[in-house]
Amino acid sequence: MSEMPEKYVGEAGSPKPHLSETAGLPDQVGNVARRSMEELVEDICASQGKTQRSLGPLDKVYVFWLAGMSCDGCTVSVTGATEPALEDLLTGSLPGVPLVVLHHYVLQLESGDHYIHTLEKAEQGKLDAPYVIVYEGSIADESLTVDGEPFAAEGSLPLWAPSEQRRRVATAEWMKRLSPTAAAVIAIGTCATWGGIPASYGNVTGSMSVMDFLGKNYRSVLGLPVINIPGCAPVGDNFTDAVQAILLFLQGLGPLPEFDELGRPAWQFSETVHRHCVRAGYYEEGIFAKEFGDKECLVEIGCWGPVVQCNITEAGAISHLGGCMNAGGPCIGCTMPGFPDKFSPFYKSPPGSLLSSNASRLLGSIIRPLRRISQRERNREIRWHETVPSGWAMEKGDVSLTHKILEFFYEAMQFQGAKKPGRELPEEQFPSGYITLPEQKYGKDFQLLPEDRAKKAEKRT
Amino acid sequence: MRGQSISALLLRQGNSEGQLGRDAQVNTNSKNANSRMQVSCDKSEIIIMCFKNLPIEFDAQGVAHLKGGAIDPYGYQRREINRDKLKEMMARNGHIKDVSISPVTRVAGALSFHAVADLQERKFLEANSVATIFRGYEVILKGRDPRDAIYISSRACGVCGGVHSTAACEAIEMAFGISPPPLGTVLRNLALALDFLYDHPLHLFLLAGPDYSQVVVEATNPAMWEKAKLTEATNAEVHQHKTIGDIMKSLNPLSGGCYLDGLKMTRTPREAYAVLFGKYPHPQTVVPGGMSSTVTITDFNEVLTRLQKMLDWTKRMILLWDDLTEFFYEFNPEYKKIGALSPNLIDLGMWDDPDSYDATYERCNEWGEARWATPGVVIDGKLVTTKLQQINLGLEEFVEHSYYEDWNQNGNQRYLTDPLGAPLSPNHPWNKETMPKPSKESWKDRYTWDTAPRWDRQVVEAGCYARIWTTAAAGMMPKNDFLEATGHSLKIHMPKTMLREMDFEWKIPEVWNAFERNRARAYCMGYNLMIAYTMTLKAFDYLRKGEDKVSTKFEVPKGERRGVGFWGAGRGFLSHHLVLDKGAIVNYQIVTPSTFNASPKDPFGNPGPYEQAVLNTPIIEDFDKPENFTGVDMLRAIRSFDPCMPCTTHIYGGEREIIREVNTCACGAEG
Ligand code: SF4
Ligand code: SF4
Repeated sequence: MSEMPEKYVGEAGSPKPHLSETAGLPDQVGNVARRSMEELVEDICASQGKTQRSLGPLDKVYVFWLAGMSCDGCTVSVTGATEPALEDLLTGSLPGVPLVVLHHYVLQLESGDHYIHTLEKAEQGKLDAPYVIVYEGSIADESLTVDGEPFAAEGSLPLWAPSEQRRRVATAEWMKRLSPTAAAVIAIGTCATWGGIPASYGNVTGSMSVMDFLGKNYRSVLGLPVINIPGCAPVGDNFTDAVQAILLFLQGLGPLPEFDELGRPAWQFSETVHRHCVRAGYYEEGIFAKEFGDKECLVEIGCWGPVVQCNITEAGAISHLGGCMNAGGPCIGCTMPGFPDKFSPFYKSPPGSLLSSNASRLLGSIIRPLRRISQRERNREIRWHETVPSGWAMEKGDVSLTHKILEFFYEAMQFQGAKKPGRELPEEQFPSGYITLPEQKYGKDFQLLPEDRAKKAEKRT
Repeated sequence: MRGQSISALLLRQGNSEGQLGRDAQVNTNSKNANSRMQVSCDKSEIIIMCFKNLPIEFDAQGVAHLKGGAIDPYGYQRREINRDKLKEMMARNGHIKDVSISPVTRVAGALSFHAVADLQERKFLEANSVATIFRGYEVILKGRDPRDAIYISSRACGVCGGVHSTAACEAIEMAFGISPPPLGTVLRNLALALDFLYDHPLHLFLLAGPDYSQVVVEATNPAMWEKAKLTEATNAEVHQHKTIGDIMKSLNPLSGGCYLDGLKMTRTPREAYAVLFGKYPHPQTVVPGGMSSTVTITDFNEVLTRLQKMLDWTKRMILLWDDLTEFFYEFNPEYKKIGALSPNLIDLGMWDDPDSYDATYERCNEWGEARWATPGVVIDGKLVTTKLQQINLGLEEFVEHSYYEDWNQNGNQRYLTDPLGAPLSPNHPWNKETMPKPSKESWKDRYTWDTAPRWDRQVVEAGCYARIWTTAAAGMMPKNDFLEATGHSLKIHMPKTMLREMDFEWKIPEVWNAFERNRARAYCMGYNLMIAYTMTLKAFDYLRKGEDKVSTKFEVPKGERRGVGFWGAGRGFLSHHLVLDKGAIVNYQIVTPSTFNASPKDPFGNPGPYEQAVLNTPIIEDFDKPENFTGVDMLRAIRSFDPCMPCTTHIYGGEREIIREVNTCACGAEG
């Protein structure tokens, strides 16, 4: 921006530092429906005849979604959430959960000053319900741009004379202005939670995370430090799930949601992604993918899963489907504070895996053959002593002597201290044909009509 | 000399009074061109002509040369912007209003727009598109292992899921000299068709849709709403909305059926995507030399069930947009001028043919033309090239009106030619090295973080509509059962699902405006769907043949290498230009569709596509007094491009520190 004027002129007789002190803005530019999204939501609720909306103290909550140095990926992820879905929250359709009035630049009906004005109302305490800030993207160090346009801006405000002159407002400034009176601040995505790619080596914009920006001592009105939902991009459900959990707790309905030492929802992020990985069994048996596309454990082609806190393998990416390693992509640690620099160059096996993967390779080489023997035996029904009645497989009848010996001991161990259940049914003769009871009793032609039977008998004689 | 389309004529009429210096000119004129170039270009018409402004000519074999004789062949004169007349008009007339919309919502990312509207004459006199974010990813990429470019550049944009990773892969493949096995290519194609199947509904129903919904139409044009309620929809039997009013109601945010279904339908293709590629956005499965997906039969079955759902819905939605568009045209033909531009379009094509694609620059024209979407440039409605090399040579980026410093001051041009020896501009992405220079906003000088890419020094727009247009016009699509490019249209055959078998035909439109962009986007859903379906069948084919390899092994080369990924995003054109040395990235440049569309004026004074589209937009909305003007027509024009700002302003090149400019002039945005 240009030089600061000598004197701050937001005083009598000069343009106001805010868009409007009183209700209503000077003009309708950008207000294409002549009402804001907030008013529209109220209308929709009213038309549905919702009188008593919630079962707890909260009726509605405003959510201001701010984006700094972001790629909009977090927004996109959240539009994909289904547990609960975004539209469920935004229409107040979840029993017990207050209506979430989302103020988001990607979804908002109105643009420009009308959009910004709601942010100002929040700052001035003029909203009829508490508000939460959701911040996506890292926060740039705007002190690097004092003489120019901000790196990341949202809206512009009139500030100094002449009155037409406006000042583009950095998203960082909105954060500074809105955070003191926010009920909670949620950082979504790795950029906002830890800094992410804009803050990695070579960072020209001085980017940092929300925690770095607000500091260790920040507490929201509810007394909460910054809540962090990491991931690049995060699992959409992780966000809506956390929001729902927090809201239900505030309503006095749900249990206390726990957060770990970095402010992550503990129920989502306390396990490593490796523990729930669909390929973890390969790791354990020491079988590793050599090329992209292989079905085995990906550690030797760059997977960091064993040390990464992420739940995508069990939560799925969207609608419980997908997940990086589920599909074949090695984990590059995108949920972690060390991302990306402590995980790159990507596609190189993590140094730490050398020891552990070779250890499981060694162990696997012993365990695997034993398991295969046991597996083979368990692939046989108890009555398949010699042959297997499958037309599909190669005949697996001839079981080797070692196999039989091993299986003997295995069975002995299996039923040690327990009784082997008996099964003393008579031998069945099904491969050749099944004779029904009436057939046994009345002969082959029992289902024919009496005359036909008589005719048949005649023919026979 | 060249054929003029109807829309070009329309535009000229619409503009004849609004000329304010160069600002309001139709952007297809050739006055910006250096006259010397023009003359020699005419002479070369007998050979191969696609450039009329750049000093490049082709011989009969298609080999490019620099036209002889010029000392500074790529030099140009910067044209200054003069706002004096405008300012004077604004001072004199109360009905001339300075319109500043910051932020423009319902677009991806941070966009602001400034315009000057003449509310009496009902037209716009000035327009400035402003990208308000800059992240500097390129410095972050510099010096890194080239493979990291895939995951890091992906983060340039989270709206377009995996397009950047794929473009990065293609650039790396060219530099490394590798290419994917057939199934790898087919999987990529499938990924990129699914990607857009999420992207287009998001735009049509969540971003642009509300502008055509009851709540907006009723507020800004009550007479139209009254008429809409009484107008029966032509295709009601298919899309199940009896009247146009019902359609508009259905588009209402958060309560309308189309809005909510549109939101849900963005998930269906993403589910299929997640099954095969892990997650959306930023998949972990795009790798140099192919993909790293482990494919199973179940995966493809899960994809097919989702395609079926999409098919049913798409059949209805294409006809719904058809009905809506025709209603607007009928209600008031002036609507044909909303966001109107002369059709200047650019696309790189995409969806490689597994048998042709070998990732070499040498053969890029052949594998480019074998793609399922044909590369091409359309100037004034005419297809002038389908060759990737020519499209590449014509690319230049200008920063005169952006917050960057010109990288050509020191005069060291990295590359004088492309790998085939054809001349390369110092402003070409392979030579670009941008230095950010946060400065003060000035409509005369610098006002955006976006740059101004141009092709052959002409303003071109990018979009999925450019892709369907170049493909339809070129008529080169591989033979298949569902899609046919006829030279003037794209025929889409959709098999029976819950709804009957249906045939659609997207015809190259006679007018080019906001409605046609949206309509083409709806047809693109059908196009993408049939690509996704065809690719699934192709994948089955390869699996049946036992060709189940999805990736190729590679080594990172140590020498100096160049590569380029010619690809497409949901919004069209996407190129990644890469320079490697000693196994590390030396330069990395991305040009995205919105870099083109949201671009500011170029040094020749031509406004970018959003800007020109707004200048051509009449003000139709109802308002009783100037304070009640909402700008909905202008917003419709801007949104029809499907702006995506994260992509636009991702990048910065060079090791240089940020240059801070201490500006002492306090004239602010008034500049
Ligand atoms: S693929 Fe990664 S997360 Fe899965 S088992 Fe292997 S190392 Fe663990
Ligand atoms: S598995 Fe790894 S790469 Fe995938 S989302 Fe989790 S942390 Fe990110």
